[in-house]
Amino acid sequence: MRNKPTIRRLLSLVGILAAFALLAASCGDDGEEAATTTTAAPATTAAPAEPEPEPDPMEEPEPMEEMDAVVHLGILGECEGAFGAFHEDVVAGASLPFITFAGGASNSPTSALEGFSGAVVAGVPIEVVGIGCGDDTPDRIIQEVRKIVEQDGANVVIGPLSGDESIAVANYAKDHPDVTFLNGIAGAQETTMVVQAPNFFRFNGDGAQWNAGLGDILHNVAGWDTAAVIADDYSFGWTSTAGFIAEFCAVGGDVVSRVFPPLGTTDYSSYVQQLPDPDEVDGYFWAVGGSGTNASLEAFLSAKGDLTGDQHAGNLFFSPALAAALGTDIAGAYVGGFASLPGDVSTPAIEEYLASADAAWDSLVSPMSGMEAGSPRAAAAFGFFYGYYSSALAFIMALEEVGGDLSDNHAALRAALAGVEIDGPYGKITLDENRQAIVDTSVQQLVLNDAGEVVSQTVALIPAVDQSFGGTFSPTTPPPDRENPTCEARDLPWVGNAVPVVDGVPQG
Amino acid sequence: MSPTGAVSGSGPARRLLSARNAVVAAATALALMLPLFGSNFFVEFVMTRTMILGIAAATIVFLAAYGGMVSLAQYLFAGVAGFMIGNAAVAQDAWSKGLKLGWNPWVAVVFALAVTTAVALVLGALASRTTGIYFLMITLTYAVIGYYVFGSITPLSGFGGITGIDPPGLFQDHPVRMYLALVVLSVLVYAAFRAVAATPFGIALQGIRDDPVRMASLGFNVSLHRTLAFTLAGFFAGLAGVFNVWWNGQIDPTSISIGPTLDLLIVAVIGGTLSLEGAWLGAFVFVVANNYLRNLPLVDRVGITEARFSTVVGVLVLLIMVLSPDGLAGIIERVRSGLSRPGRPSETSRPPSPPSDAPAGAAAGAGP
Repeated sequence: MRNKPTIRRLLSLVGILAAFALLAASCGDDGEEAATTTTAAPATTAAPAEPEPEPDPMEEPEPMEEMDAVVHLGILGECEGAFGAFHEDVVAGASLPFITFAGGASNSPTSALEGFSGAVVAGVPIEVVGIGCGDDTPDRIIQEVRKIVEQDGANVVIGPLSGDESIAVANYAKDHPDVTFLNGIAGAQETTMVVQAPNFFRFNGDGAQWNAGLGDILHNVAGWDTAAVIADDYSFGWTSTAGFIAEFCAVGGDVVSRVFPPLGTTDYSSYVQQLPDPDEVDGYFWAVGGSGTNASLEAFLSAKGDLTGDQHAGNLFFSPALAAALGTDIAGAYVGGFASLPGDVSTPAIEEYLASADAAWDSLVSPMSGMEAGSPRAAAAFGFFYGYYSSALAFIMALEEVGGDLSDNHAALRAALAGVEIDGPYGKITLDENRQAIVDTSVQQLVLNDAGEVVSQTVALIPAVDQSFGGTFSPTTPPPDRENPTCEARDLPWVGNAVPVVDGVPQG
Repeated sequence: MSPTGAVSGSGPARRLLSARNAVVAAATALALMLPLFGSNFFVEFVMTRTMILGIAAATIVFLAAYGGMVSLAQYLFAGVAGFMIGNAAVAQDAWSKGLKLGWNPWVAVVFALAVTTAVALVLGALASRTTGIYFLMITLTYAVIGYYVFGSITPLSGFGGITGIDPPGLFQDHPVRMYLALVVLSVLVYAAFRAVAATPFGIALQGIRDDPVRMASLGFNVSLHRTLAFTLAGFFAGLAGVFNVWWNGQIDPTSISIGPTLDLLIVAVIGGTLSLEGAWLGAFVFVVANNYLRNLPLVDRVGITEARFSTVVGVLVLLIMVLSPDGLAGIIERVRSGLSRPGRPSETSRPPSPPSDAPAGAAAGAGP
């Protein structure tokens, strides 16, 4: 019994010491460089930067004008939530252009989260000052971006990943004109069309753009006249569905039912019951993401008793992996595009891009390699990686164009960014007046290969898809939601211009 | 430390000069001076969030310590206030979701607090007849319902939430002012809870906490007292919610989902659910750990990265619950009593002493 107070005092002491350690860490952060910063390494794209004086860890962050000799790069990833498994992928995507085109080297051969060093663009060193950890929610991403910008001193931010997050970050960007933001792979329409932060750039399509071409094929090739939609009840789900509805209705189809389960639903049975029966509608469009894709389709199977690929289509979440739970009957389903293309399309540019990922790391842990250490090219071939890659690549191109000029709140850099034209491995990317990408996208189909496995196959490329969908969407039209857009026939610029793809080879 | 910590002497002046008050006054003075030497991020982010969470967690502590009710609905009330601010204050020509009533921000505050208090009154009345685990469960249900209500009713919010919520001009582009206002508000909330605890209402509440059957047999309306305490806590949680939405600039249903709801309980547990001061202490530890743990040298080598924050906090809470059920405030109290009375058993090893905020004999169940 005599020992008990002593032990408690000892534990108390340990607790107090731990608190002091945390406090010491907190005091030292401002102005301190993260572990993943650049070391003075030779540049491949320009002359090496002059050595910098060692910063005083207790000093306040320097004024932005003085800090602009260096790009303090922050990356907003997602280490938790539905897309938490892609954290490594997106950080690798943002890092790869700095490794491939700016003389950087990965700090670890097996992990992108360790950062890179030695990258210099137009004489400007690139330092990774922080990697944000989002969880799909705007609340969390705002706290992460505040930490990266206000504590770590980032003056360029690449990210975020998810739709609602990007709306919040774009709003945050408006209040921080001294920081340049480049979207990661988030696909909410409002982020650029409505918020219109002058310092927020998006070099990937939104959820609607990625579904361009799908409505045309489903109506004119698959013969659907009526469709029901079921989608996640949040900005990306609405935007993705809006792309399908806008085009399907534009070419003469009719959407007869719209069902929106809340995000994070695990039991979809009540929502699936709200859908018309298979004999009452020609087909169903699914924009239910994450773990919900499988769960909702299985609920459909239980409720409606039948699920065949020719009566179903989906957005990017419809993957061959669905066959594991649903069986090969899912083959035949058409799938909307994403930032990259399936592996059946191979060009020298794509091969060069994938090889650059293999050169940067020995292996990466990615969902594309079953969450095990696998070939980096597997991660690089998927849209999450490529979205971040495109943004980092555009930033490098713009910074080189202005000779490293970061003055006047990055005015020259932003003007250059607005005019960047990426002729990337997966198509051309330019920006519209809202700093939103005009992209080439694709339509895919789940098919059976010779081994009887379900695989994804590209069936058409849709060139130059813009965010407005031929005037369907504008800053003054209601943003996509449960009721919008309404179903109306209209002309879309790309209808009839799709490039067929046969056996992975574009026919035009 | 508990709200029932003993105070020597009985006069008002002696009570004001207690060691507890001296520590609170010193901490307040330090907090007010912090902008003079703290970094911008530390003041405008870490400490501002600490104050917001501290006020919200103090409402949990108040209900638990003085009313014997552990509530999981407190973050819901903060959220209700936030959503009301978002709906009322955002301009009609803004692109954001919500009702966009475009009201004066201060009118919006009154509206938000009125709605929040009314919601707390109704929910409190419904929950007031339950105790213990059932009260915990019903308030958890409130939190879950709140998430789906704001997510499903798109005119009010929808799952995308309301963004672009600006604070009033007084705080717009003046984050230090907001921080200082929160420090002052924290002191007021702290003083208000202690003052309430010393009123006949507060004393009766503590009597209900200790023996509701006896209090009922003495003629006290147990449900009414619980309802009013719940309503009062809801009002103060609403105040925290107002500042939270001003500080964050947006609110969505995930802001009040089960994660943040449990985070707030964790804050209270870390600090100590029987100590009002512990609410702010717990909030400070939580926010500091959230922001700086990942920056400690070599912690990433043992697997502690930003993605492992929940694990670390979980371990911390487990340790605290095992080693000091009274939280960090309990540890501090043990250290203090150990230092002041070396060789004697610590204070917490003895039975709880009567409430410091209550007149002598009040807890014995004396009715009006």
